[in-house]
Parts: sequence; C-alpha cells; structure tokens
Amino acid sequence: MTIKKNILMEVTMKIKKLLSYLSLVFVAVLVLVGCGQSSGGGETASSTDSGSSDSSSQEVNEESQDENVADLSFDELVEAADGSTVSFYGWGGDEALNQWLDNVYAPALKEKYNITLDRVPMDIEDVLNQLSNEKQAGETEGPIDMIWINGENFATARDNDFLYGPFTEQLPNFQDYVDEEDPEIKYDFGYPIEGYEAPYGKAQFVLIGDKEKMDQAPANAQEFLEYAQANPGQVTYPALPDFTGSAFVRNIIYEFVDPAEFQDMEADKEVVREAIAPAFDYLRDLNPHLWNEGQTFPQDQPQLNNMFMDGELALTMTYGAFDAAIGIENGEYPESAQTFIFDNGTIGNTNFIGIANNSTNKAGAMVAINEMLSPEMQLSKYEELRTIPVLDNDALDEDQQAAFDAVDPGPGTLPQDLLLENRLPEMPAHLVPIIEELWLEEVVGQTNE
Amino acid sequence: MKASKFKVSLLLFPQLLISIFLMTGVIYGLIQGLGYIPALSMTDWTLDYYIQSIQDPNTLRSILFSLWIAFASSVLSVLIGLFICYLFINQKHYPKWVQALIQIPIIVPHIIVALFVIQILSQTGILARLLYVIGFENAQQIVSGWLFDPQGKGVILAYLWKEIPFIVFFCFSLIRQINGSLGEAAQTLGANRLQAYVHVTLPLCRQTILTSFFIIFMFTFGAYELPAILGPTLPQSIAEATYIAYTHPDLKQRPFAMAMNGWIFIISLGMALLFAFFIYRKKPSHKQGGQDG
Repeated sequence: MTIKKNILMEVTMKIKKLLSYLSLVFVAVLVLVGCGQSSGGGETASSTDSGSSDSSSQEVNEESQDENVADLSFDELVEAADGSTVSFYGWGGDEALNQWLDNVYAPALKEKYNITLDRVPMDIEDVLNQLSNEKQAGETEGPIDMIWINGENFATARDNDFLYGPFTEQLPNFQDYVDEEDPEIKYDFGYPIEGYEAPYGKAQFVLIGDKEKMDQAPANAQEFLEYAQANPGQVTYPALPDFTGSAFVRNIIYEFVDPAEFQDMEADKEVVREAIAPAFDYLRDLNPHLWNEGQTFPQDQPQLNNMFMDGELALTMTYGAFDAAIGIENGEYPESAQTFIFDNGTIGNTNFIGIANNSTNKAGAMVAINEMLSPEMQLSKYEELRTIPVLDNDALDEDQQAAFDAVDPGPGTLPQDLLLENRLPEMPAHLVPIIEELWLEEVVGQTNE
Repeated sequence: MKASKFKVSLLLFPQLLISIFLMTGVIYGLIQGLGYIPALSMTDWTLDYYIQSIQDPNTLRSILFSLWIAFASSVLSVLIGLFICYLFINQKHYPKWVQALIQIPIIVPHIIVALFVIQILSQTGILARLLYVIGFENAQQIVSGWLFDPQGKGVILAYLWKEIPFIVFFCFSLIRQINGSLGEAAQTLGANRLQAYVHVTLPLCRQTILTSFFIIFMFTFGAYELPAILGPTLPQSIAEATYIAYTHPDLKQRPFAMAMNGWIFIISLGMALLFAFFIYRKKPSHKQGGQDG
C-alpha cells in the first residue's frame, strides 16, 4: 500500500513538474515570438519613418561595392584579393576531389595570389537553404563566396537572385580558353547562364558493366531489356530523385523521344507525362527483371556502386566518365569492369562555379575561379581526377594540347573523343523534378500487366 | 520549498534554452507551411499546403507506413523486452554478458545498426553466405525480401535490436524491485512465478512500461535513417517523404515540405496527448487499490 501511495505521489509530482515546465516553455516561446514581432515591427516602422536612411545607405554601399568589383580590371581584382580568404561551398562526397582541392588547387592560389581557400563541404540543397535564410534575414554579408552548382539548382538560385554576376567576362582565362559559343557554356540544363557561373568540369553519364557477366554490352534500351530478361536480378538503377538514377531515366527517355522535343516543353505535369509515356512503359516492362523485381531500388548511387563491387549486380552507372579506371586501379572494381554507352549517346552536362550575391569577397572568388580555368589546373584535374576538361581544345597551344592528349584515362574506360561525339544535352531544369515525381507515381513496383 | 522550486527552475534552464531553439524552429516551420516566406516573396497566408499535402495519397501512405513501423517495433520491443526482464528478475544482477548485450545496442547509433543489418541480411550478406556454406543452394532467395520490403521487415528488425535493450534498461530495476516485494507476496499467496509477474508486477509497473513504449513509438514514427537505408523505395516513411519534398530544387515548393512537417508535428502531439491520457489517468490505480484493500 505504501509503495503504491509513493508511486501515486511521485506521479502527481511529476505531472506538476511537467506542467510547470511546459508553462515555462510556453511563456518563453511567447516572449520570444513577441520579441520577434516587435523587432520586426520596429524595423518596418523605422524604414518607413525617417530612419530609412540607415538601411538604404547600406544598400547603396553594397551596390556600389558590387559596381566597383564589376568595373575592376583583372589586375585590380588580384590586388583586391591579395591576402584574403575565399570560401568554396559544394558537395563534399568525392574524397579524391577534396584532396585535389586541398593539395593542388589551394596551394596554387596561395602561392600565386596569396589567397587562402576555405573549402566547406555542404550539399547544394543546404547551400541554397542557407542563402534563402540569409536573404530572409536581410544578411548582406554572408560567409559563402564560391558555390559548386549546376542544373535545376542554378535555375533556383537565379530565380531567387542568390547569385552574383555577370562576372565571367572579366576573367582572362575564360576569354582565352573557353568556347563561349558552345551551347553547354551558354545554357545550363536549358537555363541561360549569362555570365553568372563559370565552367568547372564536364561530366558524362556512363554505364559500367562486368564483362564476366555481360559478354556484350547492350547498345540500346531494347538490348538492355533483353539482357535483364536473360539475367534477372542482375541490373537496377538508383531510386529517383538520386542524381544518377534520374540521369539514367532521362537517358532511357531519350531512347524513345527526341531530345529536341524537350528543349521548349512547358513544365506541366500532364504535358510531360504524355511526352515520356513510351519510356515509362518500357521501364514498367523492365521492372520484373530488375534486382528485387523492381519492387525497390537502391537508395542512391553509392549503394548501387557497393552492390556492384560486392558482385551482387552486373552493372553500375555514374556521371564520372572515367570512374571505371579509378575503381579498377583502387581494386574496388573487378578487372573485367568496362565502361559502355548506348549507340544513341548518353547525357553529358557541365558543372559550374558561381558566386553568392551576398559574398564579401567577390574579387577573391573571381580570381580563384579564373585560376580554376587555367590550362594547368584543368590538366591537373584531368590527370589526377579524370574529369573531362572544360577548355576549348582549339584555343590551347600545341604543347598544351599534347599534354592533354598524353593523359591516359586508364583501364575500362572509353576514349574522351568517343564520349564527346556521343553526348546528348540535358533536359531543361524545370522538367527534371516533374519526371522524378512521375517516376515515383508510375514506375516503382508497377508492371504493365 | 520556494527556494527548492527556484533551484529546480535553475536546473531546468539549459534544457529550457534548448527547448526554446527547438520550438522556434518548429514555429518557423509551421508558419512557412502556411505559405508565409517573405524571402521568396510569398506573403499570402493559406491552409492550402496543409490540405493538399494531406490529400496526396503518397503522403497518406507514408504516414500509415510510419505508424505501422512505429507500432510494430514498439509493441514487439516491449513484449520481448519484458520477457527478457522476466528471465532475469530473480537474479540480483543479470550476468555480465547480458549486461554487455544490453549496453552495446544502446550506445550504437542507428546509422551503424543500418550498416551492419545490410552486411548481415543483404543478398550477398553474411547470413546468405553462411546458409550457402552449410548447403542451401537457394540461400539468396531465402534472405531476399528481408530488406527493402514494403512491409518494412528489415527496418523493424533493426529497431528491435536497438530498442529491446532500451526496454530492459529502462524497466528492469523497477520491475525487479516490485517483483521482489509485491510479486513475492503474490507468490506466497499461491500464484506461480509467471502469474505473479503478469498479474501483479507488470500492472504495477504500467506507467514506466507505457512511458518507454511511448518514447520508442514517437522516436520510430519520426525517424529518418533506418527507413531510408533499409526500407523500400515506396512507401517512404513520412520523414523521408518530407525530406525529399524539402530538397525539391524549386524553393517555392518549400511550404509543402513544411506542411508535411506540420502534419508530423500535429500527429505527434495528438499521440502525446493520447499517451498522456493513458499513462496518467487515475482510474486503474484506484481500482487496483480497491482490490488490494
């Protein structure tokens, strides 16, 4: 009996404590919200009143600073950037790239321009979120300078005015070595670039098969289906919206629909649904022969890659055109791994570096981006990371051309010119999320039966 | 008394500080779900996002899937956990190896659990290889369907490994104490060990057990990593669906993600009230008090 009483008392005590605690929290939140509101109110009041001079003069300052940067010659930019620190925000999942940035690119910047590189690994969604939050808070001096970006994220950043520009015209290496008439330099997933980002590297979607399990690489979607039928459970692709899985599906769509049809397509779900119907029909036909019978898909590209390395699958896929060589050299892929593409070609895209609109070191960012476009850096990136260079081969002198030609992409890869000859354009950025949504609705776990 | 109250408030202060940050985030999210994001020049308040997101069949499926995983893993954890408690109540301490078995899962993060569950249960995993070695030609077929399945078996299994020890850890000392006093009293009055455990000890520990059940339920309902790594592509858990909506490249879609977050919050709040009602209602204890008397 006494025990029970004790427990009862304990419980009532607990409830009381809980209640007082909750009310405390509640009051605190009220105070906080109240503060937020009153300070917000104060802000609007002051800006409508005479106090507006403060914020507007700050704006003018900011603008004139931007104009200054835009007016500077490259030498003046170098001078302004001397001794500064530039932050570089971007996806940090590629360890080889991280090391190259830290061990090759950063020392070069330090030596040539006395610029310190602060590499910050962050997913692009989070970068955009941070920029949006900073904009909401009226922050004109953000920590983000350079951003690794492309595709629909570039479109979002431009639509919301997160990026600074145009700036590429001021970069000597851009003018000397980049082909400005190349559609891939003019448009990013169909979105006009207009000088708001500079090319960083070229990617091309490729498939990597294990020759032991795949004597003849499928040359098109039909042969791919036949292989899957003959070898059930041996192939699959990452679940959308994974970047690579999404590219695979777009490649399949291009097997059925002319890429040109999408370039001006309205970003309307029903329009897209109708246009890609034959491809989704195909994907549903493919489903029963995939790994796990198309009921589930690997969550992302790394998981697919792991399953390929474990021998659970005969196929992996990647945007890194020469990844097979790196995989074989590291001993992660079987010696029999071989890159292949469809006869119709595969999607290639360029990724870029942009500058945040509220960056405090735009001059430093521009100098650093210029360095990234130098033949030395692009060559080093090609040699060490096997990234397809973004420079115009015709603009290079003979020695430079020879140096680029001398790079051997390594075992299991396709030669660079073959890839570039069979390169398909990306779809307009706004269509991509629609396709990803439709895939979840109409493909996963479904068949045409 | 007053001084001690003040002390208690002081002690609560760090927790309070964290709660304020947390609540501010939640409130911001709820507001953004109403379509109010000035930075994206969205300033019209509307309930449309909440309504549209809950009407989407995929969201509903996700909520049901998350509820299923939460329900299955918490019920099974409690049942198995209480059974393990029963095995050891008569010993002063459970043996060292049991102690280790209980402590290790509690400190291992969920993400690590996910990795080794894949190592063990995948079609090229340790289990499949073992089965193959001892002569099962179709070892891969046997283990297929345990991971990435639409019922979430792999997810629930991983949660069990994490949460059963939690139940034991959370409830064992109280259970043993009560079983040692009132449970033994019941046994001297003629109940057998199991009867005493089920009919006397467990009802008296009801609150603690329900609380631990509640903790596991709420955690698994809102959790992201295990369903994301071990679960099927569809249905997604509600946390996964929300995260994918949140990463939509078009920032104008942000209110949808926030509205889905809002639904998680509302459902959790509803659950919390429901559990509070069960845990703190006085009736049963009176009743039992009457029986005892």
